[in-house]
Amino acid sequence: MTMKSLLSTVLLALLIGSASAAAQAQIAIGHLADYSGGTSDVGTPYGQAVADTFAWVNKNGGVGGKQLNVDTNDYGYQVPRAIALYKKWSAPDTRVAAIMGWGTADTEALTGFLAEDKIPDISASYAAALSDPEGTSGKAKPAPYNFFYGPTYSDAMRAMLTWAAEDWKAKGKPGKPKFVHMGANHPYPNAPKAAGEAIAADLGFEVLPPLVFALAPGDYSAQCLSLKSSGANYAYLGNTAASNISVLKACKAAGVDVQVLGNVWGMDENAAKTAGDAADGVIFPLRTGVAWNGNAPGMKTVMEISKMSDPTGKVYRPVHYVAAVCSALYLKEALDWAVKNGGATGENVAKGFYQKKDWVPAGMEGVCNPSTWTEKDHRGTLKVDLYRSKILGPTDGDLNDLMAKGTIKLEKVKTVELPRKPEWFGW
Amino acid sequence: MAGPSLIPSGDFRTSYAADTTIFPTRTSRNAAIAGVILLCFAPQLFSAYWLSISIQIGIFAIAALGLNILVGFTGQISIGHAAFFLLGAFTSAYISNNAPIPVFFAIPLAGVVSALVGLIFGVPAARLKGLYLVIATLAAQYILLDFFSRAEWFSGGSVPASANPFSIFGYTLRGDRQYFYVVLAYLLISYILVTNLLRTRDGRALVAIRDHYLSAEIMGINLTKYRTLAFGLAAFFAGIAGALYAHYQLVVSNEGFGIERSILFLAMIIIGGTGSIMGTLMGTAFVVLLPESMEWISAGLKGSAIDRALSLNNNITFLREIAIGLIIIAFLMFEPDGLAHRWRQIKTYWKLYPFSH
Repeated sequence: MTMKSLLSTVLLALLIGSASAAAQAQIAIGHLADYSGGTSDVGTPYGQAVADTFAWVNKNGGVGGKQLNVDTNDYGYQVPRAIALYKKWSAPDTRVAAIMGWGTADTEALTGFLAEDKIPDISASYAAALSDPEGTSGKAKPAPYNFFYGPTYSDAMRAMLTWAAEDWKAKGKPGKPKFVHMGANHPYPNAPKAAGEAIAADLGFEVLPPLVFALAPGDYSAQCLSLKSSGANYAYLGNTAASNISVLKACKAAGVDVQVLGNVWGMDENAAKTAGDAADGVIFPLRTGVAWNGNAPGMKTVMEISKMSDPTGKVYRPVHYVAAVCSALYLKEALDWAVKNGGATGENVAKGFYQKKDWVPAGMEGVCNPSTWTEKDHRGTLKVDLYRSKILGPTDGDLNDLMAKGTIKLEKVKTVELPRKPEWFGW
Repeated sequence: MAGPSLIPSGDFRTSYAADTTIFPTRTSRNAAIAGVILLCFAPQLFSAYWLSISIQIGIFAIAALGLNILVGFTGQISIGHAAFFLLGAFTSAYISNNAPIPVFFAIPLAGVVSALVGLIFGVPAARLKGLYLVIATLAAQYILLDFFSRAEWFSGGSVPASANPFSIFGYTLRGDRQYFYVVLAYLLISYILVTNLLRTRDGRALVAIRDHYLSAEIMGINLTKYRTLAFGLAAFFAGIAGALYAHYQLVVSNEGFGIERSILFLAMIIIGGTGSIMGTLMGTAFVVLLPESMEWISAGLKGSAIDRALSLNNNITFLREIAIGLIIIAFLMFEPDGLAHRWRQIKTYWKLYPFSH
C-alpha cells in the first residue's frame, strides 16, 4: 500500500465521518446491540425490533413532534466497548435521553454511571440485581436508572422450579428430584444461580454442582455425559439459544433423560427449528402474551412495526422480536410523558416509567404483559408464562410454514403468579 | 534495511555519546519537545471523541512498548500480553479498593506485581524458543484469564470489578480532560525510560540476544537472566498500561482481553516496526484508529446504495472486521518494516527535496 492511497483512505474516512454527524432538535437515544458477539443469535432479532420500533415511531410523528435520533451500535457483547459507547452517550454535547441496553455484564458495569449521570437504561438483561432501585434489599447495589420489561431471571427461575416440583409430584416418581444449573461462567447465566439453587433446596430438590458450558456454540458432549452420570432430572440452561442448541443436540445424542428448563433467551422458534427434535419438551418463559402469528389486538401494531425492515411482511419474527417491541414502546411512552412534563431528560424519562399502574403501551393490548414500575421496586412484572416447545416432525423448510402447520409449537403449560416477596427482591 | 548498523557515508561520529544520542539533531529534539507541549493543550482543543481516542492510543502504546522490548529488542515472542495487561488492571483496582493506598501509587504497584508474575511466566522462556515459547506464553494467557474468571475475591469473578477514579493526595481527577494528562505523563516517562534502557549495558545485552543468542552467550551475556528480565519488563509495562486503563474505564472486565487482544498488541508493533520505539507509538495509533475509521466508513455506507445492493444491514459490522484483517495482511506484505521505516523514508525524501537523486 503506497503512502498516497493510505492517505486518501484516511481522508475519505474523515470526510464521511464528519458528514454523518449532523442532527438537531431530536431526542437522542443510545442503542447497544449485539450482532456479532456471544449472544448475537438472540441479539439480532432483538436489536432489529428496537430499530424497527423507533423507525415506526418516527414515521408516525416521533415523540411530541420530535424525531428520535437512535444511535445503534454493535458492541459485540464486550463490556469495554459498551463503556466506550457510554462515554460518548453521557458526554455533554452528545448526551442521550435514554439507552436501550443489552447484556448483563455491561448493564451491571454501567449501573453506577447511569445513576450518577441520570440516564435510564432499558436493558435486555433481566438480572434481579438491576431491579432494586434503592439497594434496600441489601442483595444488590442501588440501580435507580435501570429498567427492563419482563420477569427477572431469578423470578423466571423460581417459576420454572415451582412448576418442576409440581411436575415431579404429578409424575409420581420416587425420591428427591435433582436440579442442576448449567451455563457459562459469566454474569448473565450466573445471575439467577443463587436464587435458583435456594428455591430448589426449599422445594425439596437435591441441588447438584453446576455444569459450565461456553456462551458460544460448541461441542458439549462432555457436559452431557456429566449430566447423565449425575442423574439430574431438571437442568436449567442459562445461556442463549445457539449455545443451548449445542447442548440439547449433544445430550440427545448421549441419550440423557432430563427435563430442560430454558432461560427467556434460551429458546425461540429459530432455535427450535435448528435443534429439531432435540428441542422437544423444553420449558421456557414467554415474555409476551402471544408469539408471532398469535391472536391478540396488539399484534396489528407489531406487524406494522415489522414492516419497517420487512415490507413483504413474510419474515417470521421470533419471540425476542416481540418482546423488544414491548421494551422499546415502554420507553417511547415514558419519553412521551417526559416531553410533556419538562422535557426529555434522563431524569424525566425515568419518572415517566413510574406514572402508570398495570401499564400496557397503547396499541399493544394482549401482547405486552401489564407492568408496573415504582420508585422502590423495578420488578415490572412477577407473572411468568411458561411454555413448552413441541416438535412434531422434521424441521426443514420455512419457519412460517413450520409454525403454521404446527410442526413447531409453543404450547402454554402454566402461568405462575409469584408473590412480591421482599426476601425475593434484588437477587 | 536502514537500521542503525548501516551508517551512510559522510556521517561521522567521534564519540560514543554521539553514537547513542536520542535526537540526532537539535531540530528533532526541539520538534519533540514542541510536540509534547502541543499535546498538553489537547484536552482544550480536542472533542470528547478524539480525546478518548488519544487516551486509548496512549494507554495501549505503553503496553505495546513493553511487548516491543520483548519481541523487537530481545527477539522473544509472547501471545499472552493481554493477560498481563488485565492483571495490571485488576491488581490496581484491587489495591485501590481494598488497601488505604491512593490510585496514584496503586498504578506503579500494579506494574510491579505484573512484572513479578511476568518473571514467573518468563522462566520457561529461558529454555524455550520459537513455537514452543509461543505455546508457553499462550498458556500464560489462559491460566491468567481463567484465574480472573474464578478468583472472586480478586477480580469479582465473572462480574466486572469496579475501579476508583484517579486520585492524588485527596484530589480526585474526573473526566477525560483531566485523565489525559495522567496518561500523557506515563507515556512520556515510559518512552524515555525504554529509550534510555536501550542505551545501557542491559539494553545492549537484550539486542545482542536478539541478533544472535549464541554469540551473545559466548560474549558472556547471561541468557537466562536477560530473557527472563525481558519478560518481566514486558509485563511491567503491560501492567502499568492495564492499571491506567482500569482507572480510565472505572470498570474492569475480563472480556475483550483474550488471545485476540494479545495478537492485536503484536499487530501494533509489527505495523509500527519491531525494534522501533517511535514505531510502537505509530503502530498503536494505527491499530486504534483503524476500527474507528472503518466505523466511519460503515456508518457512511449505512442506508446507501452499496448497503442496499449487497443487503449488508447488520452485517456491515463484519465488513469492519474483514477490512482490519485485510489491512494487516497488506501491511505485512508491502510494508514489512513497519510505519517507522516509512517515516524515515519520508523524512529522507524531504531532507533532500527537491534533489533526492
